Amino acid sequence: MENRTKYLFLTGFCLAQVMAFAPQVFAAEKAERDDRPLIEPDVTPVPVDEALIDTENFEIGAFVGIMNIEDFESSLVYGGKLTYHLSESFFFEAGIGFAEGGQTSFENLAGNVQVLTDSERDYRYYNINLGYNVLPGQAFLTENYAFNTNFYLIAGAGSTDFAGDTRFTLNAGAGYQILLTDSLEIHLGVRQHFYRIDVVGAEKTSMNTEISSGLSVFF
Amino acid sequence: MMIRTDTRTMTIAILILTLCLPVTAWAGWLWGEDEPDPMVQVVEPFVVWRTGPAVGYPVFHSSEKGEWLTLLQRKTGWMKVRDGKSREGWVAVAAIAQTRDATGEFVDLNVPNLEAFRERNVEAGIMMGEFEGAPVTSGYGGYWFTPNLAAELWGSQVLGSASEILMVNANIVHQPFPHWRVSPFFTLGVGHIWVDPKTTLAQPEERENSIGHAGLGLRVYITDRYFIRAEFKDYKVFTSRSTNEEATEWKIGLSIFF
Repeated sequence: MENRTKYLFLTGFCLAQVMAFAPQVFAAEKAERDDRPLIEPDVTPVPVDEALIDTENFEIGAFVGIMNIEDFESSLVYGGKLTYHLSESFFFEAGIGFAEGGQTSFENLAGNVQVLTDSERDYRYYNINLGYNVLPGQAFLTENYAFNTNFYLIAGAGSTDFAGDTRFTLNAGAGYQILLTDSLEIHLGVRQHFYRIDVVGAEKTSMNTEISSGLSVFF
Repeated sequence: MMIRTDTRTMTIAILILTLCLPVTAWAGWLWGEDEPDPMVQVVEPFVVWRTGPAVGYPVFHSSEKGEWLTLLQRKTGWMKVRDGKSREGWVAVAAIAQTRDATGEFVDLNVPNLEAFRERNVEAGIMMGEFEGAPVTSGYGGYWFTPNLAAELWGSQVLGSASEILMVNANIVHQPFPHWRVSPFFTLGVGHIWVDPKTTLAQPEERENSIGHAGLGLRVYITDRYFIRAEFKDYKVFTSRSTNEEATEWKIGLSIFF
């Protein structure tokens, strides 16, 4: 009997205790969980739309330099190129260039002799190349400016229109790229062009070195 | 002499025009963008920042969990970001894909993978090889109607020791196993060929013919958006003479898909 009285009394007491404290505990917990801002914003959150992010994997540019055409002196060379960056390391490059062949030493010595007509001396090439960025880095101009740079190796094939015919041409070289901003950059490059030619005597491999500098923009 | 000057002026004009092409890229830079740049919140313990868009550039900063980053531009697998203190740097796209946007969801970024390769609609590439022993350079573009069937357009230049050949081809491609990483295919098509002999030859004779061709090849997905493609084709050149000519060609190259 005593147990029963105790049980009733204690149960009643405990319940009262729970009733007295619980609402505060629950209320405190609720207040903590409520993460609604005090002022409801007017704008609804918009998910990130990838299409709105500017993707700059293409690059277009122009270059100018000096090209040494074997047997035909050196000439000013100029042209343009379009690049697509496949990844941080690899890129495709399509280039086109224009130069003009000079006089062979035979023509200079013999006097009134012409190996090629004027229009045949126009030198035009295109090529498609694969490049690889080997040495990404930074260049520092004074203590205030740092520019991203790349040293890349590049090789490919294409054709050269010179001396009346179109010739299959391989080319290989290297370049140094300085990014003035993330969208604008300077190129310094050396390229060697190889093709077979038989205009001055027996057929041989003509080696033409091109040194150029250029400016390009990413888009 | 006058004509030569003209063509040179033309070339310079074309060059300047091509320089003006990315005018949309310049416009945003000159007049500012209307759209607010998208923002994401870091949920991983931290993300590292590099000075440039490649793993070779040094890490110079990191953003902690909870920080908001503004996405500025993307180059290959890298995203240029700005934080609340106007610092700018490059974060890997894979790390951005693990952040949340304003809606609290993970950022929906398109990371090209094998799955994307299987579901590609458009592909384009450049290939090189040999056409009857002479070097050939080709470019192509293709559209997939179904995962198995595509139509392609090709342009090729063959520069032999005796002649220069230009070719334009259209063909259909069938790949029996589109879900394979290394996927074989068959092609069948028609085209046109222009043969221009070298000027040094005794009897230069220009000619053009219709051609038909059949081939087989292989695509191998590498990574990101690109794959290697190699193929062998057998050409029939339809001449006006009593016999038709035959030519074989192999090529290998790199392609991208979208």
